[in-house]
Amino acid sequence: MNAGAALTLYVMSAATVLALVLAVVPLPAAWRRLPEWVGCIGIVATLAIAVVQWGDRQVAFAGELHIDRFSLLLTWIILPAALAVILFSWGEPAAAGRRAEFVGLVLAAATGMMLTVMSGDLITLFIGIELLSVALYVLCAIEVARARSLESGIKYLITGSIGTAILIYGFALLYGVTGTTSLDGVTARLATIDGMASDPLLIAAIVLIVVALGFKASAVPFHMWTPDVYQGAPTPVTAFMGTGTKAAAMGAFLLLFTGATQQVSGDWRALIGALAVVTMVVGNVGALMQQNVKRMLAWSSIAQAGYLLIGVAVGTTAGAEALIYYLFAYVAMTLAAFAIVILREREVESGDTLGAFTGFGRARPWAGVVMTITLLGLAGFPPLAGFIGKFLLFGSAVDAGMSWLAIVGALASVVSVVYYLRVVIVMWSQAPDGQRTARRVRVPASVAAVAVAGAAAIIALAIWAQPMLDLCADAARALTIP
Amino acid sequence: MPWISILILIPLVTALVLAFLPARERRTARGVALTGSFLALAASIVVFALFDRDLAVLQQVDHLDWIPAAGVSWDVGVDGISIWLLLLTTVVFVLGVILACQRLPQQRGTIFLSLIMLAEAGLLGLFTAGDLVLFYVFWEFMLIPFALLIWNWGGSDRRSAGMVFVVYTMVGSLLMLVAIVATGIIAMDHTGQLSFLIRDLVAVPFDEGTATLLLAGFLLAFAIKIPLWPFHGWLPRVYSQAPIVVTILLAAVMSKAGVYGLLRVGIPVFPEGVGNLLIPVAILALVGIAYGALLAWRAPTMRLLVGYSSVAHLGFIVLGIIVIDRMAAQGAVLQMINHGIVAAAAFVIVLILARGTGTEDIDRLGGLAKGAPRLAVAFLFVTMAALALPGSNAFVGEFFILGGVFDQYAWMAVIAMVGVIFAAVYMLRMYQGTMNGPPRGVQDEGHAAEMTGRDAIVLVPLILMMVWIAVWPGSIVEPTRASTDLAVAPAQIALERPPDQIGVLRDMASADEVQRP
Repeated sequence: MNAGAALTLYVMSAATVLALVLAVVPLPAAWRRLPEWVGCIGIVATLAIAVVQWGDRQVAFAGELHIDRFSLLLTWIILPAALAVILFSWGEPAAAGRRAEFVGLVLAAATGMMLTVMSGDLITLFIGIELLSVALYVLCAIEVARARSLESGIKYLITGSIGTAILIYGFALLYGVTGTTSLDGVTARLATIDGMASDPLLIAAIVLIVVALGFKASAVPFHMWTPDVYQGAPTPVTAFMGTGTKAAAMGAFLLLFTGATQQVSGDWRALIGALAVVTMVVGNVGALMQQNVKRMLAWSSIAQAGYLLIGVAVGTTAGAEALIYYLFAYVAMTLAAFAIVILREREVESGDTLGAFTGFGRARPWAGVVMTITLLGLAGFPPLAGFIGKFLLFGSAVDAGMSWLAIVGALASVVSVVYYLRVVIVMWSQAPDGQRTARRVRVPASVAAVAVAGAAAIIALAIWAQPMLDLCADAARALTIP
Repeated sequence: MPWISILILIPLVTALVLAFLPARERRTARGVALTGSFLALAASIVVFALFDRDLAVLQQVDHLDWIPAAGVSWDVGVDGISIWLLLLTTVVFVLGVILACQRLPQQRGTIFLSLIMLAEAGLLGLFTAGDLVLFYVFWEFMLIPFALLIWNWGGSDRRSAGMVFVVYTMVGSLLMLVAIVATGIIAMDHTGQLSFLIRDLVAVPFDEGTATLLLAGFLLAFAIKIPLWPFHGWLPRVYSQAPIVVTILLAAVMSKAGVYGLLRVGIPVFPEGVGNLLIPVAILALVGIAYGALLAWRAPTMRLLVGYSSVAHLGFIVLGIIVIDRMAAQGAVLQMINHGIVAAAAFVIVLILARGTGTEDIDRLGGLAKGAPRLAVAFLFVTMAALALPGSNAFVGEFFILGGVFDQYAWMAVIAMVGVIFAAVYMLRMYQGTMNGPPRGVQDEGHAAEMTGRDAIVLVPLILMMVWIAVWPGSIVEPTRASTDLAVAPAQIALERPPDQIGVLRDMASADEVQRP
């Protein structure tokens, strides 16, 4: 037992508790930013520990937690996303009365995401997913005075609970088949029992788990909640759901499929492949119809989940490597895109509609450039990181003999070009006269910093793709070799 | 010195400098853009001076690993097929920048110039890429500046035109990306490591079915970009809606991307698949020749006329490449250069006419020769070159292509001849309709449409190049010979053509004879 290995979780939990305590303690006006500072310092400290810990697998709590290259690398994705969310809401008027709760819940959700990807046991995995979900239910509804925010929270609560119920059912069946809840134990049992592959109980377990994680990753046909919830939730929370939750769900997919049930990959490869295909097609076509940028980004996040699922469906470490690289790129792109949406929202009424972006690029060229880079990256234009990620994902599909995934992915990407570039066109076109007089607020430095950092990351991930891929390859190997 | 990388970086850096200039600094922007484009021209001349015309393979290669794990690298070089395209690109972009500076848009002119330089960097990268992934990177890279130029400065229907352009191109290119990935992974069985270097892939034998499928994936992207009939749907909208400077660049340079890819990548890497696709592609090219000519004949505006004539001319070039013949392939390379120069000149004339008369409609113009005699002379000259009159530069290229095609498939040559005849019909219609007959559409006999000294700066170099190629075509063809021979040789072997037709084998045989006595 090596309880010290879970130091990252202790720090995050401590920061969470501290932030929540600050919610009930009356703070002097000069200290009103204290919760945010607690959150930022907690996250940065955890990130520093996660960087220092990089190395071979350490096990904590009798195999309940695996601190290895895989979980640490995904932590490097989750924590910057959480930091960005706190920076997004820095001094935001809507969250003014509930700063501490907001920060505390973001930290709790991030802790849940970390717990999910660090889990070495079905129970820990489930607790991680529950923790992140429950925190996010509340975060969605945190703007209690706004009906849409409440609606979003309720919708997410209901669909999320169904997903959780299905997940625990699937885990129960998997336990029934293998007689163990430990992920390593599942692998070992599946390897020793012959004829396990066609066991109907195992197949039922796999189907249920895929469905449940499909809910969390908003894969089609379990995506119905996504556009409404994303649109209704406060935009920083939406950004967190689009990035952190997606990373945690994909991490769970990798742990359970590419990792634990690798032996019976014949049972689930086609299933997840089909899920990826439907998700790519429906997500992209759905995004095509949207007139609201937040809603468009929600649909695009569905479509992106489809590309990510290719990396799971192929069932190889090459696929996992490509998936993790693309997660980094995707999170950078999504955070930058949401940063720009938040800026626009603060500037004009209903700033998340497509029309509100007319002429935004001309008014604020730097924001226009960031958004252009981001959307081109999301559309997969070379030489940006989004392109390299897609290239690797398609490559892993062809390599695994699933070229049809690559072909559908390519055709779906063509569709995505239309809606991503539509925003670019609108942004750089002439603003109608009425809008030129719209109030111009000072750009919040924290949001601008996230936007610029995201765009820089999109370019940096492309230039230094090789060192990044080395890390991703190490992480992917950690999935199968303990 | 890594001259080729420098050649690509010059326009890229220029574009960045221009992007950060304040919008007021229009004078500075002009200076920067002109300097950048002339520096790129100078770099391309250095590359040309260092070029060894006896070497068939890629030379002056700059290699830098980018993502070794995925077999992707920065690998640029030049060979006989690309050397003239580089010079064509830098020359046409110098002229394009001059034109853009002369009539710089009032709105954000600095960004306009910046995007033009960005497009130049993309095209130069495409013509020098030695790695398939890099080839794809530049293939897509150049799309963005062109699309933004159309969206921001195009005609009234610019938004849908730009979107049509992007979507059409992306459909082909993303499937090409899948084909590229598949090529690299299938080749890995043979080479033992993942590599996308074209020179590695050329050595890989594919089985016939695989090669056909992969070549088809590439062909779709090339066919849309060229455009080959029936994939030309984007061309009329884009050519007529783009700012005319951009139309010049699209027609003169970007339209060569597809045919260059076919000769540089498609045919040499997948010779085994050529046999199955030869006749279908040749038929598409032949239909394109006839169809483009017919559309050009009835085109309402001068811009569309020249645009449709491009479809016909590029059909000729595709035909020259796909019949797999040394002479035809050399003719195709020569014709790429010829078409670039002639199309640029023709669009410059359209620009001058449109500026002087305010319209591009052929039917609303007439009798301008009286008031604009200098323009009429230049126009007549360009017309003669475009219809490939014997003694003109295009005649040499078409003669090479038709000669080679006739050797392989005589019936194709007969059909293609019809296209040559039609070229005379539509080009003379445009010249006669606007220059001869009773004056129409202008007040003072067309003085306003006369070529000025500023126009001559652009038009005269193009005409001088036409004269040069017409008088001395060998100077263009000769440096391309080794590389085109090498490019078509594997396909010739796969098609079991007689050994005396295969340039590479013949050179080896003659080398034997030299050694024997």
